[in-house]
Order: sequence, then C-alpha cells, then structure tokens
Amino acid sequence: MSAPATGPETLGSLSDEAEVTDPNSKQGKEIAGKSPMQIAFARLRKDKIAVVCAIVVLFFILVAIFADLIAKAFGVSLDTVSACEVLECNFAEPGVGYPKTGPPFHEFDPEHPFGIAPRTGADNLAHWIYGCRTSLIIAGAATLFASVVGIVVGLVAGFAGGVVDRILSFIIDFFLTIPFLLAALTIAPIIIDRFGTSDSYETVQIASLIGILSLFGWMTVARLIRGEVLSLREREFIHAARVLGMPTRRILFRELLPNLTAPIVISISLMLPAFVAAEAGLAFLGIGVTGSASWGQTIANAVPYWSNYPLYLWEPLIGVVALVLALNLLGDAVRDAFDPKTRR
Amino acid sequence: MFAYVVKRLLSGVVVLFLISMSVFLLFWYGPSEPAQTICDNDTSNRCTPARLEVFRENLGFNNAWYEEYGTFMKGVVAGREIQFGSTTKFQCDAPCLGYSYRTKAPVFEEMKTRMPATFSVAIGGAFLYLALGIPIGVAAARRRGTLADKALVSSFLVISSIPYYLFALLTWLFLTISWEIPLFAETGYFPITENPAKWFSGMLLAWLALGAFGCTQYTRYARGSMVEVLNEDYIRTAKSKGLTSNSVVYRHGLRAALVPVITIFGIEFGTLLAGTIFTERIFDIDGIGLWALQAVSQRDLPVVSATALFGAAVLIISNIVVDVVYSILDPRVRLS
Repeated sequence: MSAPATGPETLGSLSDEAEVTDPNSKQGKEIAGKSPMQIAFARLRKDKIAVVCAIVVLFFILVAIFADLIAKAFGVSLDTVSACEVLECNFAEPGVGYPKTGPPFHEFDPEHPFGIAPRTGADNLAHWIYGCRTSLIIAGAATLFASVVGIVVGLVAGFAGGVVDRILSFIIDFFLTIPFLLAALTIAPIIIDRFGTSDSYETVQIASLIGILSLFGWMTVARLIRGEVLSLREREFIHAARVLGMPTRRILFRELLPNLTAPIVISISLMLPAFVAAEAGLAFLGIGVTGSASWGQTIANAVPYWSNYPLYLWEPLIGVVALVLALNLLGDAVRDAFDPKTRR
Repeated sequence: MFAYVVKRLLSGVVVLFLISMSVFLLFWYGPSEPAQTICDNDTSNRCTPARLEVFRENLGFNNAWYEEYGTFMKGVVAGREIQFGSTTKFQCDAPCLGYSYRTKAPVFEEMKTRMPATFSVAIGGAFLYLALGIPIGVAAARRRGTLADKALVSSFLVISSIPYYLFALLTWLFLTISWEIPLFAETGYFPITENPAKWFSGMLLAWLALGAFGCTQYTRYARGSMVEVLNEDYIRTAKSKGLTSNSVVYRHGLRAALVPVITIFGIEFGTLLAGTIFTERIFDIDGIGLWALQAVSQRDLPVVSATALFGAAVLIISNIVVDVVYSILDPRVRLS
C-alpha cells in the first residue's frame, strides 16, 4: 500500500521525471536526488484533480481562519435576534415562521445573503462560516492527536516487540472492536450531564468531541506504522545504528521516522475527511456540537423545512459534501503520488 | 481448528468483559448524579433529596462500584431483582441488562423487540452490497482500461467520498418528500409476520440507499481483486486450455477473487448488525440504533450501556466468524 522506504539511507531515487522538478531550482535538467516527499509533491502538482481539490480545501481553510472578518464584511453575526423581528409572526399571513425577507418567499436580501433560518431567525451565512470553522478545528485537532498517538504507539509496538508489542496490539484490537458511533453515543450524554449548565459548555463540548474522535481514530495509524516498523527494524541501517550505539530514542525518531513519511502523510490525508464527516454526522444526530454553529446541526434543523425552503438545507450540505469530497480526493491523490506502482 | 475457535472465543469473552467494565465505570463515575434521571422521571420532575436518596440506595450507588459491578454481572448470568422506589420490585430474568429508567421494562426484552428492525435493515442492505457490487466490479475488471471502466471507477469514487448519511438523507428527501413516489411513501419497520408486503415497502428505500452507497466500495474491492487474479498464471493456463471467457472468469477467477471481498464484507456486516444508526434515524426505522439515540436524549443510561455492549458483542462474534470462514474459503490460511 505504501511506498518502500527510499529515505536518506538509500541513495535516493534517481529521478525519471527531471522535467517536473521545480523550474525555479538551479538543478535544471540534471539528474537530482529527491526525497520521496519531493517526488510525491511534484506528482501531486501535475495531478489536475489534486490541484483543484487543494484549492477547494484552501478556500475552506481561509473561510475558517478569517471567519470573523468575513462575517463582518457581510454584516452578519451569530447574535440571536428576537425571532419576530425577521420572521413572519403574524398568524393571519401565510408562511408563518418563515423569514420576512429573502428566500424562500421573497426576493434576495443583501443583508442576509444566505437567507434567514426559520423558527430561530438566525443568519444562515454566519452559521455557515462559523460552522466551517467548528468543523475544521475539530477535524484538524482530532487528526493531530490521533496521528501523534498512533505514530508513537505504532513505533513503540513495532520496535520494542515482545511483551510490549503484544500488550499494545491487544489495546489496538480492543479499541477496534468498539463500535465508534455507539461509543460516541455512550460518552455524549455523560458529558452533557456533567457540563450541561456550566458557562464553558461550548468549549468543553468541542474539546470532548476532539477527544472522542481521537480516541477512536488512532488505531489504524498505529497498526499501519507498526507493520512498517516491523519490516524496517530488520534493515541494515537500523542494525548499523544499533551497533554504533545510538540511543533507542534517536533510532526511533531520527532513523525510523523519516522512513515513515509516506504512510504517515497518507493516513493523515485520509483521516481528515473522515473526521469532518464524523463531526457533521454526530451533530446531525444531535450528539455532536450543539452549543455553537455546526453544519451537521443546521442540516438536522433544515430537514423539516425541505419542501418549502430547500436552500436552508442545501447550504450546509454543500459545505460538508464539498469539503469532504475535496479532502477525500486529495487524500487519494496523495496516496497515488506516494505509491511507486502507480507511476504514470 | 477447534482449539483455535475456543481460543478466539475465550479472548472474545475477555474483551467483552473489559468493555462491559469500561461502560459500567463510565456510567458509574461519569454522570454528576446518576440517579437524577430516574428520580425526575418517577416523580414527574418533583424530585426531592429524600426521594433521590431512596433511588441512590435502590440502584446501589451508595455501595462500592465493584460490588455493584458484581451484582450487574450476576444479573447478566442468573438474573436478579431490581427495586425502584421504596416498594416497587421487579424481577429481571437472565440475561438481565438492567431496567430502563424511562419505561421501567427489562432492557433485554425491549432490545429483543427492536432487533428484527435492525437485522432487516442490515441483511437487506448487505445483500445489495454484494448483489450489486460484485457483478459490477467483475464487469469493470474484464473491461479494464476502457472508457466505461474509467468512468465507472471515478464516479463510484466520488459517490463513496460523500458521507453516507447525507447520501441517505438526500435519497429520502427527494424520493419520499419531493417526488412523492408512492412505493417509498411510508418508510419504517412493520413486522414481517403481520404484513410482509408492508414490511418490504417500508424497508425498500433504506435498503436501496444502504446498498447503492455500499456497493460502490464493493465494486472497488471486487474490481481490484479480480484484476489481480486475472493476471495470475493459472488464469492464463485456463485460457490456453481453450475454456470460454465466461468460464475462466466465473469458475476459475471469481472464486479466488472473492476471498478478500468476503472478509471485508464479514466485518462490515458485523458493524451493520451492531446498529444502523443513521439509516434508522433518516428512514424512521424503530431499531436498536434509533432506540439508542432516543435513550441518549432521555438520559436512559441502562439502555445506552446495553446497546453499546450489544454492539461490541456483535462485532467480536462477527470477527471470529470471519476468521473461521476465511480459513475455509482459502485453504492456504492456517489458523493457529
């Protein structure tokens, strides 16, 4: 699945695609030694789908980072308004509960470009922008934690072998037998119960989601890394390092880790979309983010209004689908770029 | 073989034991006041400290956790008596997973009534995984490299990159709500014993959504596996013997190609049986997943923990079954 190690210890692969090296570099058309990262990156840039997906992902990341600025520029905010100011509350009129301006029953309203949510009167654009931020914060942090834990456990299990390996492998298998959704369902009510009324509810909820996602996301990385380390461990350069008397920590992080770039980058790029989807899914079920804006939560709210106000549902749905799709396709492209078998 | 199965079963029991203990501890130490929900329920939200204390005593929260865990495990094996309030006593038969705080019925009995719905969804959906995925995958592998193959592979890649619940949600919104197709008008679970036709039409949309989404993955697996097998020497031999192309592909190739697909399928089928939460929520099917979801919002802790335990048990059993079946399908695999 992943590239055999062509790390610093081998001679570096001879480039058969010299023309794709960075034109700005001084190497020109010389045959250059390139690290697997460089080769993969050069191939990624030639992959049109990957470039488009990267641009889409970049767009969402920028939206998430500059959420405050964008919201201000459009003059929208998450502040709750009294619902009857913006919604049809006059029961004699048709369309009670729907916005007074903008879709679905009126012309486009520049003050609320994405429209207004029925029932609550919240601004859809503001919720969309901050939903994007919530989604990326949770998915990004969970990916970071899960991959760090996975890498460390995998390295230790694979390298130490023996009893340590058996114990760690048992823990990996143990976590793999726990159904993720049911576990999230189990943990969610306890967190709600503990922190349901406190002021820091929002933060606690986001932190707990990151925790839940990391807790059930690290095993695949750990297994992958363990397998790679098991085979790398017997290679000559590791033996040489041992004979030279290198401390174990140095062998792990300076010798082994650089050779694991490919599987690590691949698993990270496939983990991110999974976490984005999981975050929105949990929010859709009502056990994810409920305190602040979240795409999944908006989708769940919008389902009853589908017949009259489909736009309300489409906005968050397209957000989730576009982000997950772009991340997934990018992840596949990354995997192909690292895999020497698919060299085109 | 027999020794292997026994060994796996034993380790499965150990894992299940650990999971049950984790769940138990989670509910023991997690909630700030575990007896609050049942007290609120029982007194219609007029729970006094005195009443709460009674419930704490009844539910054993005043004892040490390991004592109560022992009682719980004894209940699973032999059944036990549960007391709610000062007078009401319930007999809970083995396997006793506790009493629902909300309905005051044995959790296991309620679970049994909801199993057929979840199993219907899982079996029907899983059947479509294979029934659609394998033929499409084989056809794509035989036309490997053609335009049709490429179009199929890339479109399936896009579909499988969309989160499943959104795919299912859109299916339901368009087919049932927008276009009002009469066949899909009423989704949900209706017991098969009462009205098989209604059961079928209620389930159909859920099956189609699950099957159409899942089959994209199985097409990929089947295609990849088939492409690999068709490059094997023995396939060349079969071809040069003058066998027909169909016979080579289906009699010689498919058998070998299916082994890895079946393994993945087995594990995923176990996951489906453990709870099809999204499908049940979207198509309003009253199965274990929806039950767990409702229990979460009502903080019905015994039900939540029972569904988690059930899911883990199903996964463990299905993993063991997959390993054993794998060794039967592929004679090269030796269990030890």
